[in-house]
Formats: sequence, C-alpha cells, structure tokens
Amino acid sequence: MNKYVYNLLFGVLILNSNASAETSAANNDLEKELAYLAAERQVVVTASKMEEHVDKTIATTTVITQDDIAHIGARNLLDVLRLVPGIGITQTQFGWREIEVRGVKTVLSEKVQIMLNGHPLDHNLQNAGSAWVYDDLPVDTIKRVEVVRGPGSALYGANAFLAVINIITQNAKDLNGVQTSAGWGSFDTQQYRASWGKQFDNTAEAALHFNFTDTNGINSPIPADSSSIQGLSSSAPGKSQLTEGRYDLEWQLGYQDFKLDGRYINKKMGTFFGAATILSDDRTQQDYNDYFLRLSRAWKIKDDFTIDTQIFHDFYSADNRWQLAQNQFTRSGFQDMRTGGEIQANYHISDAQAVIAGFSYAKEQQGNLIDELGPDPEHLIPAPSITEERTRKHWGLYIEDVWDPLKNLRLTLGARYDRYNDFGGTFNPRMGFNWEFIRNYSLKFSYGTAYRAPAFGELGLVNNPVLLGNSSLKPEEVKTFETGIVAHPVASLTTQAIYYHSAINQIISQVPIQTAISRYDNSGSVIAEGVELEARYDFEGSLQGSYLSANHVLQHSVQLGQQLADVPRHRTNLTANLAFDNTWSSFAHVLIKGNTLRSLSDARNEVPGYALLDVGLLGKNMFGRKVDISFNVYNLFDKRYYDPAPTSLSFIGDYQMPGRAFFGHVSLRF
Amino acid sequence: MKIRNFCKVLILLTVFWISAGFAQPSKILIVNSDNSVYRYQTIATEFKKIIQQNAYQVAELNLNSHADAETELKQLIQQENPGLIYTIGTKAYLLARDYTHNRKLLFSAAINWRRLDIAEGTYGVANELASAQEISLLRYFLPSIKTIGLLYSDKFSREYVESIKKDALSVGINVVTKAINEDKEIGDALNGLLPKIELFWIISDPVVLSNKESVKTIFQSAQQQKKPVYAYSDVYIEQGAVLAVSADSDTIGRQSASFVLMMDKDKVSEGTVQSPAGSTITLNKCVLDALRLNFNKDALDSINKVVGCEK
Repeated sequence: MNKYVYNLLFGVLILNSNASAETSAANNDLEKELAYLAAERQVVVTASKMEEHVDKTIATTTVITQDDIAHIGARNLLDVLRLVPGIGITQTQFGWREIEVRGVKTVLSEKVQIMLNGHPLDHNLQNAGSAWVYDDLPVDTIKRVEVVRGPGSALYGANAFLAVINIITQNAKDLNGVQTSAGWGSFDTQQYRASWGKQFDNTAEAALHFNFTDTNGINSPIPADSSSIQGLSSSAPGKSQLTEGRYDLEWQLGYQDFKLDGRYINKKMGTFFGAATILSDDRTQQDYNDYFLRLSRAWKIKDDFTIDTQIFHDFYSADNRWQLAQNQFTRSGFQDMRTGGEIQANYHISDAQAVIAGFSYAKEQQGNLIDELGPDPEHLIPAPSITEERTRKHWGLYIEDVWDPLKNLRLTLGARYDRYNDFGGTFNPRMGFNWEFIRNYSLKFSYGTAYRAPAFGELGLVNNPVLLGNSSLKPEEVKTFETGIVAHPVASLTTQAIYYHSAINQIISQVPIQTAISRYDNSGSVIAEGVELEARYDFEGSLQGSYLSANHVLQHSVQLGQQLADVPRHRTNLTANLAFDNTWSSFAHVLIKGNTLRSLSDARNEVPGYALLDVGLLGKNMFGRKVDISFNVYNLFDKRYYDPAPTSLSFIGDYQMPGRAFFGHVSLRF
Repeated sequence: MKIRNFCKVLILLTVFWISAGFAQPSKILIVNSDNSVYRYQTIATEFKKIIQQNAYQVAELNLNSHADAETELKQLIQQENPGLIYTIGTKAYLLARDYTHNRKLLFSAAINWRRLDIAEGTYGVANELASAQEISLLRYFLPSIKTIGLLYSDKFSREYVESIKKDALSVGINVVTKAINEDKEIGDALNGLLPKIELFWIISDPVVLSNKESVKTIFQSAQQQKKPVYAYSDVYIEQGAVLAVSADSDTIGRQSASFVLMMDKDKVSEGTVQSPAGSTITLNKCVLDALRLNFNKDALDSINKVVGCEK
C-alpha cells in the first residue's frame, strides 16, 4: 500500500514538474517575445527622423581597428601607437621603449595607463608603468586599440594621467574557429600566433590566444661608453644587445553572465645600452612574468539598470641581471601582486541621460625581493636590498553622468575619490560638453584632473648609493583643459582641431640632497600645451576602402621656463591607403619629426628631425576568404636617424635607429 | 638581411601575385540593436554562422553596450570600412542608415519595415510574413471566417494594417480595426471590437503587446466572448491562440546571410525586401475543438505542430 501511495505521489510530482516545466518554458518564450517588442517600442520614427550628431564624446579619442593594424603592417603595439596624434615612441637605454604623450616623456612611461579589455596593466608596483612588458605586445589578436588623450583618473583612478590606451582583443564571437598567423622580418624577427574561439549553444563561450615572438633586436651601433673613452676595457664600440623573446597566453571564458579572462606573459630580453654608463654585453638579461586573472559578472536588474561586478588578481615579477661594469653584475628582482574588486552600477535615467557609479578596492603587495652582486654573473652573492617589502590598500568611489539636455548638446560630469593607506586621499573631477552648434560642426570642451600614485620604488628605495626613496611622497597631479572643433565639412571628410593645456604639479623627481646623492621628492611643475590637427578622407565608389589621413601636432612643454628636453616641438603623420579592389590595397606612411632639444646641462647639438617613409601591400580574404597576407617595408629610403640618448650618456652621441626593415605576415582562418 | 630572410620575402611576394585572382568581397558590419534581446541575438548568431562559413570577415557593434553608440558606429564604419552593413532591429537600422555612405545596407527584425524611410542601396528581410500570405493561409485553414478584427497602434503598424485590410478585401474578408495609443486602452477597445468579429488577429504591435497583462487581457476577453485568436507567433499558443504562423528568427538570420551572398553575386535587385522564408504553423487543437471552429481538414498536412489539451 505504501509503495502504491509512493508511486502515485511520485507520478503526480513528475506530471506536475513536466507541466510546470512546459508552462515555465512557454512563459519564458512569451517574455522573450515581449522583450523584443519592448526593444522595438523604444524606437519611434518621427517626421524629422533621427538627427545626425557629430562625434559626441568630450574626450579626444583615436580608435585603431584591426583593419588599420593590418594595413600598417604593425609588428607590435608601438608600431600602432606611433601613428596616433600626440604620441611619440623612442628608445630607452634599458631596452623597452618609452611612450611620449602630448610633449611629456619619461623613461618608464608611468604617466600612461595601458589596459587590456578594460583591465589596467600597471602591474609593476616598484617602478610603475606598463611599457616593460606591453611595449612589444603582439598585435595579431587585437580587435581595436582605443587611445584617449587627456586625464582619465575620474573614471579609471591612478595613473590614467596623460592618456589611457585600451587594447581590445578578439573574443569567441570574433574568432568563431581557429586562426593562425606568422610573421617574419628583419633582425631575425619571427612571430607566431594561434587562436581558437567558439560559442556554444548553452551560452558558454571560449577564446584562447597564444603568441610567440622572437627577435635579435635592431643591433644599433654604439660607438663608445664611459670605459672606452678612457681607454679601458670595454664592449664599445659594439652593438646593442636587444634580443627579445616572449610568450603570451590569453583566455576569455564565458558562461551566462559570468566571464573569466586574463593574460599571462613571459618576456626575456637583453638591453639596448645597459643600466650603467658602460655598454652591456650579452650577459645582461631581463626576465619578466606578468599575468592577470579577472572574474566578472553582469547583472541585469531592469532593462535600464545593470550592475557590473568583478574581482581580479594581478601579478608581476622581475628577475633581472644587469652588467654594471666589465666585471661587475647585479641581480635584482621582486614580485608584485594586486588583488581587488569593483562594482559598477549603470542606470539609464532616460534615452537622454545615463549615470554610472562604482566602488573599487585593491590590496597591493610587494615581496620576494632578490638582490645579489658580484663579478661573476653565474655566482653572485646576496647584497643589501635596494627596496622594501610593502603593502598598500586603497579604495575608490566614482560617479559619472552623461546627459543630452538637447539633441545637439551633451554634458558630461564625473568625479572620483581615491583613498590610499600610505599617502591619503585624492579627488579628481571631470566635466565637459560637446555642442553641435551647426550641423556637422561640433565644439567640445573638457576639464579634468588626474593623479599618479607614487611607486613603491619611489617611496622605499634604500641602500642605493646615489638615490633614496621618500616615504612622504604625495601623488603627482595634472589639471588639463582642452577645447576643439570636430567637423565634417563634406561627406567622408572628418577633421578635428584640439587645443590642450596641462599643468603637472608635484612631479616626483630626483632632487639632489648632497653631492652625488639624490632623493625622490615632489618637486617642480611642467606646463604642457599644444594643438592637435587631424583630418581623414574616406573615398567612396570605385575607390571605397581607400583613405587619406594626416595629423600634425605642435607641442610646447615647459619646465622652469625651458622647453622640455628630448621631445620634439612638432610631429606629423601622413598616411594613404589605396584599395585596388576588395582584396588588394597598398599603404604608405610618412612620419615627420622635428628637432629634439637637449637639456640645459647638455652641450650637444639638437637631435636632428627626420622624415621616414613606410610602405606596405596587403591582400585580404584570399583563397576563399581564408588567407590574409601582407608585406611592409619600414624606412624605405634607409634614412639614418636617431632617438635622443640622455645627458648621462652624452659620450655615445644618440641612439641610432634601424635602417630599412622588412616584415611579411600571413594569416590563416579555418 | 640574411639570405634566408630574403628568400622568405621572395616567397611572400610571389604568393601575392599568384593570388591576385582570388579577390573577394569585403567585411560585413553587424549592427545589433540590443544583443541581450533573444530574437536579435538569435538572428545575429545564425547570420554569422552562414557568413563566417563563407569566410566573410565580420565586425560587430552592439548598440546597448555603448553609451555613445552613434560615435562608436561612425568610427567603426570609417575604420573597418565594411562593404555591407547588416542591421538587426529598428534602432540599429535608423542609426546606421545615416552613415552608410553608398555602402549596401541590409536590415532585419524591424517591426513593420514599411514605416521606415528606405534609402537607395537598402535591402531587407521583413519581420512579418506578407499580409497577402497570412490572409490566404487564414482563408485556407479557417474558410468560414469572414470578419477579422485586430488592434494596432498607428505609429508602429499603420502601413502593415492598411496592407492587411487591402489584401483581405480582395478575397472577401472584412477586417475591423481599432487603433490604440497606449496599452491601458486595450480593455475598452476589445470590448468594442470582439462582438463585431469572428476571429481576433494579434499582430506584432509593440503598443498592443506592451506587457504580460496586455496579453492576458486579450486572451481573457477573447475567451469570455468565445472568439478564436490567430497570432503572428506560436508563443501565444500556450496563452490560448487557436492558430499561429510564426516567422522563425533562425531562418531570418540564415535568410539574411543568403541574401548577402546573392547580393555579392549581383543577383538581387536594389531595394528588395524579402518576406521571411521560413514559418512554423502551429494549431491548438484543444482550443479548436472547444470553440467548434470549422477547420479545413485538408489543411492539416500543412500544419507543422499540433498542440492538444494534454500537457
């Protein structure tokens, strides 16, 4: 009897659950259909139709797409960035390249925030900046690069000081299968890439990228070093030893509203000149490991109210062996970690107004310090540490309102407050408007401030005979206003003229405290101002796909009444892309850079300006749309040109940059 | 440069020239009104499957992911330089059409496309079946029905309803319509309309179908007055519709992709807007029997799915 009752109940339950499941599925289908109708209901076609607005954003933004990158024949991220108005790329003595933005340049490029898919990459807490690992980032997997010039701390927090560079890589949708590519070029450069992406029926999706890059480097001649000019034993005259090898592995995994993404990089490199005043031989080795892991989820509370949440863990380690003299080596290393989370609410008050607000928290730690010294690079002995183990906690609170009170007017108002346990709080507002005062002519204005947090190395450098840290440092600050006009005088022509003025204060710099001993301190200020002019014309009809573009920058950066050293007063990029048909196109780029001034204490002549011509040929969608192929020649006329060497290395002249160089690239899709 | 590298360069150049004959069309930019909407998403997914199988390159813009979608779209068009823009939903179409610059534009999933300002070089896959097709199907399945009623909003469905009336009249069916401006008018509008008609037709009007309550009101009123309901989608079968002819989202996506392939071969006349090629006909036998409707038994073979009373 009990068994009968049990079976009856079980049967009823099963039937109920089936019926309930079917009803639930039907309701779900109805909800989906009503959601579709609701989306359509948002759009009412009025008699005036939808008005066209010229570029509404208040920020000065440049977007470089995958197509552009293919035309450029870029070998790495910096090949892409050097075409952006206001950005210049130069060589450092240590090997990595430095990114100059709006007339301000530092060896570590710590005033530029680089992000990967929206995640900040300033993982090096000891020295700040991201150029260490990301300067030669392979570009095969990049979908687009967004460069926002101007302060970004009101949204992104620390270090979005002069510019934000957001690199967006291909996701599962973009890949939809397997893609491979390979590139070969001068200096025994080789690049290989394999990517796979798939979207599954159960909303799961996955994308994986793997890159391998290897090069012997540009082998620039180095005529002298501080030993050779004294007649002492030296590697000079010799050549730079900028060998580089790197592995990149990136993953993007998604299921329903969850996403797990990140990137791991291992980079080994030699050096260009070295860390001291003698030319390093091939025994200087830099070894970097960098990764981040991010788990995020988007929550849809209502159609007009969503919440984005994320937790993340960043890791960066350096283990470098530097040659300081012919028989003197040092090994230094450390590990940095940042762990934290962020919650951001997005509310569309109306079709004309949206507000975002968020809170972030992070804990940063530095440890596992390595410090060794000795004459034999294979048998170094422990030495006093030059930096400290350190922990930092900080949180930030931000809000931004984007409001279109009129169809031709956008107002943006935002602010962020960040609080650090070691140096206190900092408040950074951002505001501006974009007003389309005549159809196709827009006036934009913005004002914002930003900060750069002192790096651990600046706060806690110890046991260094010539440079000391300062635990009472405050963040660097910049106040920027910019204004300009964006215009489309005729169809297919976009022009833009922007004036900017930035006042950088409390610069963290090395201030002499005794003879031959300096200490980091908030000292000095820089005024950087300039004009950025841009134009691009896209052809139509039989020349569709062809374009001409030009940008010209006049920049004037002054410190203590003097033009900043090592940055040019003007720079011009001219590019032309001629599409012969839907497959073949040719590309030409001319970079014209003005003379570069020296610092006051440097008696050398100015670094002469130059003009370089790069050309390329690109074939896309061949062999059943599965093959792209490109061939580019850099510095076609083999022009000899130089990047400025610092005053401390004045005896070597300047850094000779590569002559004519080739790069061929093949991409396959399956 | 070493001789090995020189050889690599030489090989690359050789491949350039021998492959010149394999010229292919350019990239497609998909502009999706809102990728979180299931119908839009399904259409996009199916479209991409076919398109990417044919090795087209695809760039995508999801309008709900960008606060300043207009700027984003403009930049994407300039920089990706797509040969064709494929829009999903009305919002995407209205935004994209101003930036096509002589590029081809293909739209889909736009309710009542006839209300849109269709420019030169624009193609489309309609969201609704052709009204003539629906009328003839209705007449085939339910031959005794002579008076049909429907509610609609003027700003979304006027052109479509006019077309329905015209096509119905040509086969001797009278269509009684009532326009509403907001969903709260539905109850009164139904009370006035239902007594005058033999069958109520639900069209895809976003004002009439504003929410679940509206749907509930329609079916409760129809049930009270024992009027059968014919619907444009089979999601209403579960609610009590007797018959539904649905235009499949999957098919619209695939059809759009095939359309692109045809356009690339210049096999499509400019300005063509295709009706959805795939439809599912669902019959609610339970409601049919309850209402004792005169259903053409010969038409049963045309029904794709019959739903009975047992669940």
